[in-house]
Order: sequence, then structure tokens, then C-alpha cells
Amino acid sequence: MAAVTPTTTPAHTAPNGRKKKDPGDHAQKRLSAFKASPATYAVLLVVSAIFFVPFVLMISISLASDLTSSQNAFTVIPSEFEWRNFTDVFTATGLPVGRFITNSVVIATLSAVGQVVSSSLVGYAFARLRAPGKNFMFILVLATMMIPAQITMIPQFLLFKELGWVNTYLPLIIPNFFTNAFNVFLVRQFVSRISGDLDEAAQMDGLGYFGVYRKIILPMMWPILTAIAIFTLTHAWGDFMGPLIYLNAENQMPLALGLQYMTSTSNAMQLPPWNLIMVGSIMLTLPMIVIYYLGQKYLYEMNLQGGSAGVK
Amino acid sequence: MSNVVVDEAPGAARESRGAGRRRPKMSKRRRKEALFFWLFISPWLIGFVGFLLGPMIASVYISLTEWDSFTPPEWVGLDNYAKALTEDPIFWKALWNTFFYSAISVPLGLIIGVWLANLLNKRIRGRKLFRTFIYLPTLVPLVATAMVFKMVLAPSGPLNDMLGWFGIDGPEWLLSTTWIKPALVILSVWGAGGATVLLLSAMNGIPRELYEAAEIDGASPWRQFWSVTFPQITPVIFFNLIMGLIGAFQIFSQVYILAPGGNVGGPDNASQMVVTLLFQEAFSFYHFGYASAVAWLLFVVILLLTLIAFRTAGKWVFYETEVK
Repeated sequence: MAAVTPTTTPAHTAPNGRKKKDPGDHAQKRLSAFKASPATYAVLLVVSAIFFVPFVLMISISLASDLTSSQNAFTVIPSEFEWRNFTDVFTATGLPVGRFITNSVVIATLSAVGQVVSSSLVGYAFARLRAPGKNFMFILVLATMMIPAQITMIPQFLLFKELGWVNTYLPLIIPNFFTNAFNVFLVRQFVSRISGDLDEAAQMDGLGYFGVYRKIILPMMWPILTAIAIFTLTHAWGDFMGPLIYLNAENQMPLALGLQYMTSTSNAMQLPPWNLIMVGSIMLTLPMIVIYYLGQKYLYEMNLQGGSAGVK
Repeated sequence: MSNVVVDEAPGAARESRGAGRRRPKMSKRRRKEALFFWLFISPWLIGFVGFLLGPMIASVYISLTEWDSFTPPEWVGLDNYAKALTEDPIFWKALWNTFFYSAISVPLGLIIGVWLANLLNKRIRGRKLFRTFIYLPTLVPLVATAMVFKMVLAPSGPLNDMLGWFGIDGPEWLLSTTWIKPALVILSVWGAGGATVLLLSAMNGIPRELYEAAEIDGASPWRQFWSVTFPQITPVIFFNLIMGLIGAFQIFSQVYILAPGGNVGGPDNASQMVVTLLFQEAFSFYHFGYASAVAWLLFVVILLLTLIAFRTAGKWVFYETEVK
């Protein structure tokens, strides 16, 4: 836990630091530590290029013809433009790719709804309401962050099996309605920063605890809740292990699992249809980039408070 | 403003804040507030009992039995643990592989992250563009990343083609017992942009005066990096190290997808990791008892590593009492 607190410090000052930098650039010119040499650019260019190569490959292979694909004769820069791959992927693989996408959307959306609703309730209570035993409960919340998912994976599976939830979306969605420690922590931190004057005044006017939550705090929470929604959405969208454990029927699979299925259905002699798989990979990737782009500033908010980004 | 959050140790300072805000007049009102508190946190509480505490207790019990979930469990005491530690060579291999993968991929990712962040922190044109290129891979879902790498690393795939231009006869990456782990490391390093962005924002927060002072003292850029930049970012490095290690020890999806031909452990178990072993034991062979024991052993290993990291942190992690 100690790690969380200090790391927020430098990240917090970052926006100020950056804003200050531009006007102050002249003063900085003399500082040798910030002097960029041609080598700096060379390294950054090469590294950026290397980091980008897989994307280019993804695109160029997604546009390759079936023949090129079956011969594994791809070029890094696209040389063919088989746009029909983008429609063929729905028909030519023998798998319900359209369903994969709908399934992903349903699972990811409902998961995000669950996390937003539950974490806002719980986070609000930890930030605002007083009760004996609250501190102990909060320490318990933080302590649960340390338990690796593998410990509970098997008993949870057996529980859901007992409930008849295997081969349904429920095991992937329902736990989100009971929030998780990290999101509770984020909401609590966020609400703690909101001044208490307003809810005090509202309470004077006779608004109950739920009323304060619903009418005062909830409308102010949306930056952090957007961040949590995005975070849950991307996590559920890309989740592989959960669907692998719980879903066996093709028409129930989300795209992340369906893609893997696409590579394994072809027999050993035959190469997987890489061009169509790459189309699927683009479909899996693109929404995440769009969501990130749209929600960037809220995610930044979240990184400030969690002190972590891109740690998976 | 920002200090409010930072200074607030979880659970401690908050109480006094709350007390100062609304002093309870009646105990009846306080009881009502407490009641609402428990009501509001009930989603977490139910989840905690139903999906965490309950399963944890069940997991301890299951790990002490032999159980396929179809016939009644059979009590075997600590046999499952003994089996993992003394009889099952694959467990040790998986543990070693996981160590190997974590010990290389996490520090390597951090070194690259620090290096890139330091370059991006210089006065460069197009910083935003470079940052985007480096960060973009972290947005790609792991499954899509694994798909691309599976194709890139195919024996006659693009990477070996490229190596061929330089007259290098590329290895059979995913089919080779030597190269499958380095392949996994390469895949993880592709995501170094996450740490880079965090480290960059930490570097941005370092007061310029420190560099000015170092400059006056005649310190070289290299010296300034090690004496000013590095100590200031050690808390972020430490945080990323801990989270990275915990994540690396739980590696699963990449291994599962990259392993050729549905052979989860890779060629000759060369990429068998603790979690893939656990998964296989539980969901392919229905050895729920043994798999649960493996899960607890994994927990102990992660816990020990985290403790060691925290123990050594005092030696190299620099906490300034007040960072402006």
C-alpha cells in the first residue's frame, strides 16, 4: 500500500510541470540535461518505428489475398489491398464473427455498468459516511488487492457451475456488480477531494444520505466514473481467460476468445487464415484505441490517483 | 489541492476530517448514518464474502483434498503441496520458467521505459507524436498482440524473413525450447510504453532548480541523470517493479495463445508457466485439489517477492518528504 501513496506525488505535479514548461522553455535552453542531440532523434525514430511495425504488419496482412496468406508470403508494407477481407471475415471463416462482436459488446457494457454503479455507492460511503469499524473495513478493501485471482478462480468456477452459470455470460458480468477494491479506492479518493460543504447544506435541507449521494455527489463523480467505465470496458473486452473458462459454445464467445478459436480450428497441415485473423485483430484493437482517445483526459485523472498506467 | 490526497494515509486522516465536518448531535442520527454506511458498502461486502473470502476458504480446503468435482472430495492432507514440491518436475519447470520470464521482462521493460522517458523528457520536437507511437502498443488487447506475434514469429514469418536479409538463419521461435521464452519477453517489452509514460510524467514533475544547481556545479548530463533524475523517479520505478512482478508471475494468455498446436506448455514445457500449469490441471484434467495447491504456492511466491522488494526498497527508493 505504501507504494500507492508516494507515486501519486510526481504524477500529480505533472500537468502543472508541463504547462509551466512551454513558457519557461527559454530559461531551460541552457540546461544540458535537456539538450537533444541528433542521436536522441535517431534513437526515438528507430524505437518508434520498431514499436509501430506490428501495427503495419497487422494492416498489411489484413489486406493480403487468401493466396498470399496461405503461402505466408507477406510483405511488411501492404502490396495488395483485398478490402473484401473486411466483409469476408463474417462469412468465410465458418465462425459467427458477427456474434463474437455482439457478445463482446454485451459483456463489456454490462460489466462497465456494474462497476460504475457499485463502485460509486461503496466509494461514496467510504469517503463520506461514518460508522464504527469503517477504518477496519477500508483496510480490508485494500488488503484484498493483494489476493491473486488464481486463488479464487477454482472455487468460483465450482460455485458458478453449481449455480448453473457455466456457458452463460453471468460469471463474466455479475461479479462486476459487487465492485473491486481498486475502483472503491479510486472513488473514495476522488470524493474525499470534493468539499463537504455542499452535502452538509443539502442535509440541512432535509436530503437523506441516499439523496446526497444521488443528487449531489453522483453528478460530480462522473470524471472518475468515466475512467472506471473505460477501464472496465477495455479489461472486459480484452479478457481471454474468463471466457476461456466459462464459455464453450461458439455463438457465445466474445471476439477475444473467438480469434483464438479461429487460429485453432484449421487442421495442422493447413495454415490459419492469417489475413482474416488480422482483420479480427484490428476489430479487437480499433475500438480500444478510439475509446482511449475519447476518454484520455479521464484516464489521466485515474492514473493520477492510482499512480499506475498500463500495468496489466 | 493535490496534497490533500497524497497526505491522506488510507484510513487515518480521514476520520478527523469527517469529525470536523459534522459533529454528531444525537446517537440516533449516528446510528442511522452507520446503518446507511453498511447499506452503501453492501455490494462490496457481499462480493467480498461471496466471491473472495468464501472462495479463499474453499480453496484452502480443496487444496487439501483430491477432487474432480464429480465424485466427493477425498481428504489427502498436504499431499498436493508435497506433490508439487517434490514429485512433479513440471511444477518446478513452470516455476523456473516464470522466474526466468519475470526476472528478464520486468527489469528490461523498466530499463527501456526509463531510457525512453529520459529521451522524451529532453527538448525535442514532436514529443507528443513519439509518445503516442511508444504508448500505442499498450492499448492493443493482449489477444490481438499475441496473434500478431504468433504470425510474426512463425518459422517462415516476417521476422525470420527480415533476419534472412542480413544472412541470419532465424530460429523457429515458438517451436524452439530455447527461443519461446525470449519470444514472450519480446512481446512484453512491446508494451514498455505504459511505464514510459508514467516515468515521463514523473520526470516532468522534478523541480528545474535541481538541474540548474547541478549545472552550476558542473555536472555532466550523465551525472545529472544519475544524481538528479534517477533518485527522483525511484518511487515510480519501485511501484512499476512491484506491479510488473505481480503481473509477470500471473502470465497466462500470451503463453496459451503462442504455444503451438494447442500444447499449452509449449515445446517440452519450455514455456509452461505457473498459471498455465494451474489452468491445465484444473480445467483440462479436473485436478482441482492439486491446482488449488499450486495457486496457494503461487501466492506465497508472489508474497515473498513483494516482501523482499519492500525490504530492499529502503536502500534505493528515494522518498522526499515534500515534493513540489
